[in-house]
Amino acid sequence: MKIALAADKDGFTLKEHIKTFLRQKDYEILDLSEKPANDFIDSSVELAHIILDKKADRGVMFDEYGLGSAMASNKVHGMVTANVSEENTAHMTTQHNGAKAIAIGAGIVGERLAEQIVTAYLSVDYAGGRHQIRLDMLEKMY
Amino acid sequence: MIIALGNDHIVTDVKMQISDFLKASGHQIIDVGTYDNTRTHYPIYGLKVADLVRDGRADLGVVLCGTGVGISTAADKNIGIRAALVGDVASAKYAKEKLNANVISFGGAVVGEHLAEDIVAAFIKTEYQATAENRKLVEKINQVEQDNTDQHDNPHFFDHEMNLWSEGYYHD
Repeated sequence: MKIALAADKDGFTLKEHIKTFLRQKDYEILDLSEKPANDFIDSSVELAHIILDKKADRGVMFDEYGLGSAMASNKVHGMVTANVSEENTAHMTTQHNGAKAIAIGAGIVGERLAEQIVTAYLSVDYAGGRHQIRLDMLEKMY
Repeated sequence: MIIALGNDHIVTDVKMQISDFLKASGHQIIDVGTYDNTRTHYPIYGLKVADLVRDGRADLGVVLCGTGVGISTAADKNIGIRAALVGDVASAKYAKEKLNANVISFGGAVVGEHLAEDIVAAFIKTEYQATAENRKLVEKINQVEQDNTDQHDNPHFFDHEMNLWSEGYYHD
């Protein structure tokens, strides 16, 4: 599985940590922010397009609170980004929302929790079935 | 203030708790549903809250589903809406103060009732700081938005999907 990563300056250090962590788990990494992006809008919207263009399978975006990256990237048609600060939402959002990316706030989530969040997010699959009507509805919105 | 509330069937009880909490704090509520625990679909209610907030019929919105992810994403996919999914008070304050978020969401099955009330109260109370830096961020988020006038105040917008659902097209 190929994982795209992106970060602004506030998320950069945690992004670097997770990049090392995921490489040790043999994930292929596409790092869109070798240097920090200008802001979380640039980093999150770029990552959204990478996922929607199928240049990576899933994404993790980092800023100070996470919610800004999710707010901006969900403005892109077809994108579903979950702002996640604990492990339960991390796996539920894959299973129920087919989340194309998660956002993590480096000012809120520490390194150990971030490791558990990305592990939970990546270790399950989208369940489909009844959940698909909701994704079709989201896809229909602008 | 006038607060619009929307939720899916998983967290109707949490919505009622927030509704009672906000009424006790002197706010007026517009509850767009869902009103019971019969299976339904979160985009319907995220869209209804977005309609109310976008044109000022409500000042702010609160949207809830199990994790908050689905319904906050649905609300966010509306021009003029900045929806923030949070799990703590610090994030709720930031969302309003810096990004002028007008819809707040938390995981109704994730966040406990006391923290939930603190999150909503902090979100309502915090004021947007319209500094040059914050205005620039908000404007830049707005520039990512598209619009689909067909989804504004349109009770038939999801008819196609609902018909497929009735026909059994979507099944586990």
